[in-house]
Amino acid sequence: MVHQFQERHALEELVPLEAAASADHLAVVVRQAIVTVLAADGHERAVASVLSSDEDISVRFSAPGEWLVVSGAQTPELLHQALSALLGETAYCIDQSHGRVLLRLSGPNARAILAKGVGIDLHPSAFQIGQSANVLCAHISINLALVGGDQFEIIVMRSFAESLLHDLRQMGRAFDLSVSFSP
Amino acid sequence: MASLIHCPHCGVRPKEEFSIRGDASLVRPDPDSSDETWNDYVHIRANPRGRYREHWQHVAGCRRWLVVERDTLTHEVFLVTDGSVRAWELGR
Repeated sequence: MVHQFQERHALEELVPLEAAASADHLAVVVRQAIVTVLAADGHERAVASVLSSDEDISVRFSAPGEWLVVSGAQTPELLHQALSALLGETAYCIDQSHGRVLLRLSGPNARAILAKGVGIDLHPSAFQIGQSANVLCAHISINLALVGGDQFEIIVMRSFAESLLHDLRQMGRAFDLSVSFSP
Repeated sequence: MASLIHCPHCGVRPKEEFSIRGDASLVRPDPDSSDETWNDYVHIRANPRGRYREHWQHVAGCRRWLVVERDTLTHEVFLVTDGSVRAWELGR
């Protein structure tokens, strides 16, 4: 199987391209588009409503007036162009696709694994689908989002990805967590 | 408990996510003030036993500056507000 990388992934050679997935699996997403949207002063609410009305993108709360917009379908350039055109002068859009690493943790024990390093309540009633938060995982700041029933997405800064992967592997050892690149 | 801080943007978080800068009641002196005034402002701090108001930054979360009012003896937290709200209240 031939994989063509546009550029070197931060976790290349540290993660197998393919591995037998156990019940709890950590997938390293190869291609993703991530854009930081920073609302201009006074436009926070307008930008929030524009972003939430767009169904093609996934919006992650980062700070008041600041979001990470994630798309699995679009290329970084197209997502950045689309958001810039959509928001115009009301927000600043910065492409982060190559500066961040996206990890997808799924499985019945995903919450138990994350609970070893994350200091927020991950019970389904407290942290619901579509919700996201900037949190500390072990000693690394991440953006954690619940995208499905027991499927979490983690966005981490590129240079911290290797260290976070090491921590997540340790946290998942008791649950036989498997790790591979996502196909 | 001071080990849990209720961030107005992120909710209840452990103190490890924050960085503490110190006294929030200080007012920056006039640029022409005497060296002694500047020395007091930059270096001299009270170390109160009891209620204390500090600047905390939520570095691992929303990265906003917060004003946390807490008791240094009992660790009870009375009030957490965003720094910009506090500055607005003070008319700065």
